Amino acid sequence: MNGKQEAALEQTPAKQSAPGLGWNDVKGELVECFASLKLAMFLFFALAVTATIGTVIQQGEQADVYIKEYGEATYRWFVRLGFTDVYHTWWFTSLLGLLCVNSLTCFSQRFPAIWRSTRQDKVSVTLPFIKGLKQSAEIAVSGATKETVAEGLIQALAEKGYRVRAHKDAGVMTVYGTKGIMGRVGAHVAHLSATVIVLGGLIGSLYGFQEFGVWIEGQTYHIPRGNFDLRIDKFWIDYYENGAVKSYNSTLTVIDGGKEAVQKTITVNDPLVYKGIWFYQSSYGDSWDQVEMARLSIKDKDTDKVLTTVDLPWKQEAILDTLGLKITMTDFVADFGFNSTEKTVFSKTVEHANPAVKLTVLERQRLEATPWIFYHLPGLYDIPGSKYRFELIGYQPKKFTGLQITRDPGVTIVWIGSTLIVVGITLSSLIYHRRIWAKVLPADSGVTVVVGGTTHKSQLDFHKEFTKLLGRIQTFKS
Amino acid sequence: MMKSLFLFDMTFWLYLAAFVLYVVYVFVRRTGSQLVAAGHPGGESFEDGGWASQIGQVATIITIFGWMVNTAALVARAMERMANSGTFAPWSNQFEAMAYVSWAIILGYVLLELRYRIKTIGAFVVGLGFIAMGAASLLPYRYQTADPLVPALNSYWIYIHVSVTLTSYAAFAMAGGLGVMYLFRERAERGGAASGLAAALPDLETIDELGYKAIMVGFPLLAFGIILGAMWANYAWGGYWSWDPKETWSLIVWLIYGAYIHARMNRGWEGRRAALYAIFGFLMVIFCFWGVNFLLSGLHAYA
Ligand code: HEM
Repeated sequence: MNGKQEAALEQTPAKQSAPGLGWNDVKGELVECFASLKLAMFLFFALAVTATIGTVIQQGEQADVYIKEYGEATYRWFVRLGFTDVYHTWWFTSLLGLLCVNSLTCFSQRFPAIWRSTRQDKVSVTLPFIKGLKQSAEIAVSGATKETVAEGLIQALAEKGYRVRAHKDAGVMTVYGTKGIMGRVGAHVAHLSATVIVLGGLIGSLYGFQEFGVWIEGQTYHIPRGNFDLRIDKFWIDYYENGAVKSYNSTLTVIDGGKEAVQKTITVNDPLVYKGIWFYQSSYGDSWDQVEMARLSIKDKDTDKVLTTVDLPWKQEAILDTLGLKITMTDFVADFGFNSTEKTVFSKTVEHANPAVKLTVLERQRLEATPWIFYHLPGLYDIPGSKYRFELIGYQPKKFTGLQITRDPGVTIVWIGSTLIVVGITLSSLIYHRRIWAKVLPADSGVTVVVGGTTHKSQLDFHKEFTKLLGRIQTFKS
Repeated sequence: MMKSLFLFDMTFWLYLAAFVLYVVYVFVRRTGSQLVAAGHPGGESFEDGGWASQIGQVATIITIFGWMVNTAALVARAMERMANSGTFAPWSNQFEAMAYVSWAIILGYVLLELRYRIKTIGAFVVGLGFIAMGAASLLPYRYQTADPLVPALNSYWIYIHVSVTLTSYAAFAMAGGLGVMYLFRERAERGGAASGLAAALPDLETIDELGYKAIMVGFPLLAFGIILGAMWANYAWGGYWSWDPKETWSLIVWLIYGAYIHARMNRGWEGRRAALYAIFGFLMVIFCFWGVNFLLSGLHAYA
């Protein structure tokens, strides 16, 4: 790379600044600093290093997780420095913001010159300039006229896809060819799109939301953010032949204004989108406060013999005429807990650690009881005066599906920026900007061609191309 | 045992053979070049006499054959996947990913050799393909099989996101190999002009330039890969960016190379510095690829 020559070519005449430290000087300094590659490199490194912190220290955990692992004092430092949520600290977001300012300033400082050069280029250059280029040569072509050599050059460059311009003054022909400016335009497209992506992210975090909800099969829920209802029709799991889970699926129906608007079965990689709100399959489990069905076995208290087993559907009365029983399952908890002050039963966790059902039993129209029957502790509860003992021998849990609900109005902008950044970087990687100047001077027995070229990168390929061109020039004999 | 495992094994041995031949090639050239008069600017501009050129030819043929076997192994694996889970991406676990990376490295190398006709690079880059394949076969057997995908991975996004990202890793591997080569040649040069090794390798400027090119291939590919990952996450996890360690690390790697391409523009970041940096960058890629999976936890941990 020959940065100096490149710089010399692109220099815009330096503005005359008045002596003293006026606002213009300060502004100039500031712009220069913000447009500098030094700052860009600092920011790339600073972002890389700070981003590492968040991958080493777990992010967004509860305090006790950190205290257990690092100790109390270290944890306090983590909080002070924001290490428990690095990516949302003021300093990390400022680095990102600075990168945007940096690349925008760079764009505004450099892009105009590049854009100008797509339409008008510096054709007339001096002889020493050409000779000073990294690739340059002087070739004598005997027995040829200036015009034919210039014609040949123009054709040779044009065949290679160069945009060619020729200029004639004082008996000297100057031929200029350029190619691949799009590579540099691409770099600047990348610079702009970095900011577009960050902007999209910002809009998402300001105007979007992300919630998590647990939903039970068969129920309908109101979604206030979208002002419509969502019915959970079904949840199920598909398995591979070897028993591994293949997919989690929920069939959902959107009910908008009392009408069924859409029905869709979502899976882990295929969400439902309605009115800009995305519903994702994100987890599932067994409900902790209701079951589909419970299986009881009813024993004779005296002989301990099983008289019958019965399947009770949720909250539906079962009538057993032969035993003179009416039974209803009225409640279920997955992990039995009892609040002794409020005298209420609740599920301590969502795990099915100590499941129990509550029954309402009516025996021979007289004896009424509401016992809690425990799956793991049969025979704990005894109904005084009853002939029977009830045991919970199984139940069919009711599934819930865990849905994530998200709206992100910035996401389209992020995709636009992403597309542009990939296109921009790819252009700048595939295409490189080259320029070739040639002066055809009259000589004793023909002409002398002084030719030189510069490239913004890819010296190797350019060298090949240039050498070929030199070989071609040697054949220009009339 | 699955057919693909046999083919992967064969690939490994072929790459090893090719690698050894390329190393021999460099050494034969080295002694050969001492006989040639000094003053050849272009690294390989002189004709390889006798032995060297034959060894070089065999090395190239074995490399290409190895690459074809590698291709066949990936195709066989894709068919095995299709048969037992209905998806075909043959880069769905660590083992397959390594095999795919070595495939991409060797493909890149063969294209490079065909275009620039510099065989000595093979001693450094085919070596990397061999190491990648070797590291894959060192994984425990249970990592090498084509188990069905967990639900989160069971998506057509895996075809494109993973392959693009892995291809960028291969490009960075190439740049790292060229960086090592640069240091070798530079060291040999310091050993004096008489050193044959220096003359056997292409000149520093060429190595430097090719290394830069490799990074300029990897950089947009990684950007594209990261973005495809974000799109996938937007479908699977309910957000395109969640700062999970794997995605953060790929961004870190991208930033590291971003610093490099801009540093190059400032001059001074060519040559030795660039070579060292390319090696450093490649080490970061290795960490992103292996280290993150084994050392850090996160959503990608099942990969
Ligand atoms: C934010 C992410 C950025 C990306 C993705 C990016 C990308 C690129 C790419 C791909 C190139 C072309 C490199 C080559 O041809 O070798 C480039 C060139 C360049 N970048 Fe960046 N860049 C970023 C930020 C910045 C920043 C903050 C600056 C601030 C000074 C900057 C300054 C430059 C300059 C001066 C060039 C040379 C342009 C030319 O050829 O005229 N870049 N950039």
